[in-house]
Amino acid sequence: MGFVLLAAPIIAVLLFLFCSKRTLQHTVSVLTSTVLLITAVFITRGVLLWGKIEYQALGGIFYVDSLSIIVLDIVLIISFLVSIYSVSYMENEIKNEKIAPGKLKIFYVLKYSFIFTMILALTVKNMGIMWIAIEATTLASAFLVSFYSNRYALEAAWKYIIICSVGIALALLGIIFLHLSSIEVLHGSQYLDWPALCENAKLLNPSVVRLAFIFILVGFGTKAGLAPMHTWLPDAHSQAPSPVSALLSGVLLNSAMYGIIRTVAIVNRNLGSNAYVGRLLIAVGVLSIATAAIFIITQRDYKRLLAYSSIEHMGIIAVAVGVFTPLSIFGALLHMINHSFTKSMLFLSSGRVLQKYSTKDISKTKGVLRVIPITGTAFLLGLFAIAGTPPFSVFASKLNIAISIFEIGGFWLGAIFLLLLAVVFVGIALNLFRIFYGQDYVQDKKTSTPSAESNFAGIAVIMVLLTIISITGIFIPYELKELVLNAQNIIIGS
Amino acid sequence: MFSYFDVLSVQILFSSFILMANKRIKSYIKTFRIQSLLIALTAGAMGFSLEKGRIDLLVVCLLIIVLKVILIPNMLEKTYASVEYIVEKDFILNIPILVILSCALVVFSYFSVSTIEGINSGIINAQIVNSMSVILIGLFFMISRKKAIGQIVGFLVVENGLYVTALFSTHGLPFIVDLGVFIDVLTAVVIMGFMVFNISEKFDSIDIEKLNKLRG
Repeated sequence: MGFVLLAAPIIAVLLFLFCSKRTLQHTVSVLTSTVLLITAVFITRGVLLWGKIEYQALGGIFYVDSLSIIVLDIVLIISFLVSIYSVSYMENEIKNEKIAPGKLKIFYVLKYSFIFTMILALTVKNMGIMWIAIEATTLASAFLVSFYSNRYALEAAWKYIIICSVGIALALLGIIFLHLSSIEVLHGSQYLDWPALCENAKLLNPSVVRLAFIFILVGFGTKAGLAPMHTWLPDAHSQAPSPVSALLSGVLLNSAMYGIIRTVAIVNRNLGSNAYVGRLLIAVGVLSIATAAIFIITQRDYKRLLAYSSIEHMGIIAVAVGVFTPLSIFGALLHMINHSFTKSMLFLSSGRVLQKYSTKDISKTKGVLRVIPITGTAFLLGLFAIAGTPPFSVFASKLNIAISIFEIGGFWLGAIFLLLLAVVFVGIALNLFRIFYGQDYVQDKKTSTPSAESNFAGIAVIMVLLTIISITGIFIPYELKELVLNAQNIIIGS
Repeated sequence: MFSYFDVLSVQILFSSFILMANKRIKSYIKTFRIQSLLIALTAGAMGFSLEKGRIDLLVVCLLIIVLKVILIPNMLEKTYASVEYIVEKDFILNIPILVILSCALVVFSYFSVSTIEGINSGIINAQIVNSMSVILIGLFFMISRKKAIGQIVGFLVVENGLYVTALFSTHGLPFIVDLGVFIDVLTAVVIMGFMVFNISEKFDSIDIEKLNKLRG
């Protein structure tokens, strides 16, 4: 069953190469992501029943436990919704002559290679292969970032591929050191296996493990967009087509964060306390939130603003993992889920705003609520959600994290944390809320496609996401709670 | 046997100094070829000399020769030929200063590696110091050059340094991981080469200082 996850995207990529009709390509895309979603349901059930799923085939590389299934489900649900959204979005782009009709095939081929690499990163137990998959996500998505192939997009893509490749090369150095620390403890076939490393964590060489952690934090941190390695992120997220931005922000950042969390589990077991890892993660996390806050306040481009908000949320997750109490880990995992859904909803809505106004400049976008009322309302609510207003889910997980910080006695840390969150809130309110009111500047009615608001699939996707983030803000389904608690046990150790 | 590997590691380090002192893009690519050849030799020698004989290291040695000595440099030369412009000064500081700074990097990595227990058993492991220095010099090379191809070569040198570190500290990663890393590097170079081509088309130059539109 699990191999369907890996096989389906590859088959899809091959099919795209052979079918030339646009409707056929859309059909293949939606079908593939439906298959992936159904498989995800079965695998989630399996993980709930047995705790983890392992196969002996292919040298036993396939491994899914509660921690990976959470991130994996996020990947598959969002990629399903995005593939429905892309149908109308890409058709609109072709109609507006933003892209040539032939490029749709390339878009889908790259998108499914990208999804394949992310699934691979989350379903292997070997840290080395996980690294390879995470590096491959950069390579698969580089051309998606430069998809419009204008100057800005090329600049963004070049920065993206250079900074992320070099950053992640440092993570490989970290993994080499992790291997070195375990070389006398493990046997040939177990090398770099996460469960084996975790089980024998106490026997690893502590000073080498410490060195390894720094490199892995810098490496995967680059990919997760933690400051000061975040510089590629706003460019890539703002220049990519909106469905891709949603995937980059909602899914890719989590995969990198997942790599860090896996390593933290080993390092903390090895060192026996959280002092070393906690200090580093909290420092990087607070720095990320602060950087994001400054840039959000002065931002003039709404897609860049959303991108900086992703940096902020990755910072929040890093702080929560750094605190490392059961409550904070619970909050971190929930926050990962909530941020992904909320942020992909925002990027998808911003895609519709962008198609309507053809500008990303905040000062030139006015009266969104009147021009596209349904998407506009969802966008407004989504902004409230991401800034952390109840009753949306982001508020619940932020509250969890803030409480956990005060519980370990970090009064000053908590105060700074809340202050920075308030600054971000003000920044979002100050900059973005003004696009919703005022005279609409949609200059000539001819360029604005009349079908933009009658595009039901896109609106439906945004509504589904809005429903998800509103409901999970009030109550968490039993299964999800069970998964998160199991994952928390995996990270902390019961 | 140990001194044998010491010599090779020093030669690999030395080749990255040569790279730092190179002036033209063509000679970067040549130096990269030599460095990769030295690494292939190291992997091969290690494959023969380890107790049980490691067949996977011999396969890796062949792969390095095919990929990093022949294929990737040829591709880079082809890319360069298609985007060639008037030779301008490519480096930010002048070469003697760059070389002296590289020496400082070696000293830095000597002192940082020597403080870590477990990597060195009593005596400081010169091979790891050398290969860590290759990584640092590769990174430094990337920021000291202004042309996009220089950055690709720098990235490849970093990758070489990583591989040598893995080789000297742990006798190579598991074979499947090595294989995956090679595939990744090859794809990365193909994509970066293609992107350089696009950049030269849109910007009429491959000078990365012109990529400065996206800010704030």
